[in-house]
Amino acid sequence: MKPFQLSRRAALRGLGGAALALPFLEVMGCSKRLAPASEQTGRAALGAEFPKRFVVIYTPNGTVPPDFWPSSTQLQNGEELSPILAPLKDHNEDLLVLGNVSALSALVGPGDAHQKGTGQCLTARAMQEGDFPGDAGLSCGWADGISVDQEIANHIGTRTKFLSLELGVLVYGAAVGARIAYRGPAQPLPPENSPYTAFDRLFSDLSITPEAATTKSEQRRAVLDKVAADYKRLQRRLGAADQEKLAGHLASVEDIASRLDRGVAPTSAACAAPVLTPDIDPDKVASMPELTRLQLDLMAMALACDLTRVASLQFTNSATTKVLSFLGPDITEGHHPMAHNGYADPANRQRLMKISRFYAEQVAYLIAKLKSMPEGNGSVFDNTVIFWTNEHADGNHLRQNIPYVLAGNAGGHFKTGRFVSQTKQVGHNNLLVSLLQAMGVDTESFGDPKYCTGPLTGLTS
Amino acid sequence: MAEPRSLRWPIGLLFLASCSGQFGDLPGNDEDGEATAPLCTAIEPGESPLRRMTRVEYDNTISDLLGDDSRPARGFVPEEESLGFNNQAAALVVSPLLAEQYMAAAEGIAARAAGKLLGEAPACREAAGGEACRGEVAALVASFGKRAFRRPLAEDEIADFVALFRRGIALGDAPDDASTGLALLLQAMLQSPHFLYRVELGMPDPVEGDVAPLTSYEVASRLSYLLWGTMPDEALFAAAEQGALGTAAEIEAQARRMLEDPRAREAVKGFHRQWLGLAKIDEIAAGGKDPELYPEYRDELLPLFQAETEAFLDHAIFEQDASVSALFTAPYSMMNRELAEFYGVEGGPKGDAFERVELDPSQRAGFVTQAGLLSLYAKPNRSSPVHRGRFVRQSLLCQIPPPPPDVVPEPPMVDPTKTTREQFSQHVSDPGCRSCHTLLDPIGFGFEHYDALGRWRDAENGIPVDASGELTQTDIDGPFDGAVELAHRLAQSEQVRACVVKQWFRFGYGRAEQSADTCSLAQATQAFEASGYNIRALLVALTQTDAFRYRRLINAGGNAGGNAGGNAGGNAGGNAGGTPAGAAEGEP
Repeated sequence: MKPFQLSRRAALRGLGGAALALPFLEVMGCSKRLAPASEQTGRAALGAEFPKRFVVIYTPNGTVPPDFWPSSTQLQNGEELSPILAPLKDHNEDLLVLGNVSALSALVGPGDAHQKGTGQCLTARAMQEGDFPGDAGLSCGWADGISVDQEIANHIGTRTKFLSLELGVLVYGAAVGARIAYRGPAQPLPPENSPYTAFDRLFSDLSITPEAATTKSEQRRAVLDKVAADYKRLQRRLGAADQEKLAGHLASVEDIASRLDRGVAPTSAACAAPVLTPDIDPDKVASMPELTRLQLDLMAMALACDLTRVASLQFTNSATTKVLSFLGPDITEGHHPMAHNGYADPANRQRLMKISRFYAEQVAYLIAKLKSMPEGNGSVFDNTVIFWTNEHADGNHLRQNIPYVLAGNAGGHFKTGRFVSQTKQVGHNNLLVSLLQAMGVDTESFGDPKYCTGPLTGLTS
Repeated sequence: MAEPRSLRWPIGLLFLASCSGQFGDLPGNDEDGEATAPLCTAIEPGESPLRRMTRVEYDNTISDLLGDDSRPARGFVPEEESLGFNNQAAALVVSPLLAEQYMAAAEGIAARAAGKLLGEAPACREAAGGEACRGEVAALVASFGKRAFRRPLAEDEIADFVALFRRGIALGDAPDDASTGLALLLQAMLQSPHFLYRVELGMPDPVEGDVAPLTSYEVASRLSYLLWGTMPDEALFAAAEQGALGTAAEIEAQARRMLEDPRAREAVKGFHRQWLGLAKIDEIAAGGKDPELYPEYRDELLPLFQAETEAFLDHAIFEQDASVSALFTAPYSMMNRELAEFYGVEGGPKGDAFERVELDPSQRAGFVTQAGLLSLYAKPNRSSPVHRGRFVRQSLLCQIPPPPPDVVPEPPMVDPTKTTREQFSQHVSDPGCRSCHTLLDPIGFGFEHYDALGRWRDAENGIPVDASGELTQTDIDGPFDGAVELAHRLAQSEQVRACVVKQWFRFGYGRAEQSADTCSLAQATQAFEASGYNIRALLVALTQTDAFRYRRLINAGGNAGGNAGGNAGGNAGGNAGGTPAGAAEGEP
């Protein structure tokens, strides 16, 4: 794979959040040389497959179940979709809405309902004991295993510049309610909240001349080799717990070192630095719609440029008290307390529905964005599956029948355009197995095997 | 210099033990109040986990080490929180993202510093590959490295860094580029575990079983990061080099000196930000306050709220030499003009600076009645007795309320014609809610004279406020009327004092207290009590405990707590200058 690099001058225009008026490739004057990788490598001509991608979207505080579930098992013209899913109408045929799948592993173990719902949504096993404050006192620790996105990344993310990309919108702090992705037990991966910082991380190292990039990689390798040696040497002299701590740090250092030579390897002609609207405050609730767009633009571009094949976007913390007042003047209360007030009151039901619809709109935006990125004879979306998960089913901690939605068939793996209910309630471990299999991972179990009986039935045919 | 190893068991800890039937509590205490006093005849340091710098500590350290005030760590991933603090060793993990941020920060710092370092190695300007340059770089590594790693470097460590320099000069833009060599060397030092973590191996020889004193350099760093949140200064380094941090008295003298420095005030501020949640006050902006009910609210008030409580605690502790009780009962606060206007204080400060303002002692008492905390533990549209009650239980009394049911029943609808208190009385009528809320709400009701912005009110929705409350399952049980009376009650509580010790222990030592820490807690508590519960005395006392001064040796198998052995081979530099302090003190 040829590293994709930009001239310094061009890069300056693209950095610091300044908007790039022209598509990336054109600005760099290299649109011919770096036409889609499919043409360069002849992968399409050879009939080889494009990379599969996996995306997680996490939203908190449950949904409004009576306004969520489709009216029919076949999603054909969009009329079957519920008020909450209506924003996904244009992508009706790409959806798999999953009924009777429950977060069984989140009904057991330490922690309060939010800590469990969030910490196990991608790990599917009980939380560790710990001392995070929550409604269950200081009882909950981090999640107790690798998350499904990371397990997938271990299989499909090994050759890209980034193993995976964790993005957030208004996720604050570093407690269990602020993390969904885990490299392993008690190894949470923090999301990046600022699109500007994420932009620099994704694209800035690529914005220097090839010679300068090579020099920089060599320098970094020299430093990181020395740093890694220091960690190894010290590790041997410490107690077990401290050894483990340094092992985690060392793994991160070695991960960076192993990816120094990786660059952009666009599989889509759309690979171009996204245009970032400048000066959006990443800490303001009012900026949420704009921030979401920027994060999703970056995520889509990272996929199209093959900087990574696994990405997640976490919307706010678990049990967020943020008041999403940008959705209307009637929203004057935090999402979490409002969710607890339930949907018996029609006005509150309306407000909660508005929030859930907003999230559906964001999923729709990402789908449309990926569809707009050509790849081979189709689009980047064709080789992707988006997994929309929630910490709970409703605002009062229900963990049965979580409103799970998949979008995209992952290169023909899933048979979409349907609302598939499992005949008997199953743990969402099964859903995570289905996703692993869709990404080409050969496994029959994930998370706590107690809650896992293999993949979901009826998704692939 | 024999120290008494047998300590009276402080009464505050006994009270804690007595209510552990209901609340999460200090491990290892007896259930009844008749627990016998621990004898504390053996040194028991507890755990000594490897501690990583926080973002604030990183920035402070870079500033002191290199005069670089760019504070790059502000952009780092936030610390994982545990026990309400961001410096708990067990919780902190390094993700690939953070490792990248360490790398990028080190590159930026090195780029800014390499020129200055080159000035200290003039021969390298002439011939970066020459012997003279190599000697100068070795000297630079030794002198700079000692400050960066906070201990002298061993010969092989110096040689390794010189080797990196030599590799670096070949990787620069120009041939034999000494500044690139120095930059890489610096980058590697700033990403080293010896910089980012406080590596402590202890003295090679145990004084008792497998317990060894920390080396003088390790003590110097413990002092500087506890009391200043940064690396040791010249005086601490000099003391470490002379082995003059071995005895309790030497450590105490340093601690007292350090508490006179403005950096100590910043560190104490940092503690309160986390313990009381002051750092979260600006998060109120996320939800704001209902503009119809609170038109006076604006986001710009929030930093003033935080500044008020910080300035109050700072003034009380460092200007008034306050005891715990004064923090709860002081009839004054610190305000500037804008804040005084918000409170409606007449004849208050005229400028932007915070000044002491005397308040009506029937309406305000200490930090618990200040607007920031009252706004934080409130809803956008009303006060929140639940959150205020939980704050008192959890943060001030160190009690953990039992969990609510896993699936919460829907609460009744809110009735805007009633007072907040009446509405919450409805909530408690449900037996499923009652178990938890009877522990929280009756305390929180005491704050009903303060609205969601912390302003005094005599009536709510036209109905006179009833701020009567009740404390249960504490050492100060009984009914009370209003937050002022509550604050005075808390000021006299042994349980609150024990909680303050415990919170400082967690923050200061970066870990949860455990049963092995009984004697260290007793040591600190006894000194605290003897001082009349003076906060600065407690800070000094924290430097005198077994937990602060000793650690268990690490055995070759990698387990702390086994016998010595693994330590014998290494740490040539780490132990330099340290004297076997504990041995000199004599144990009974």
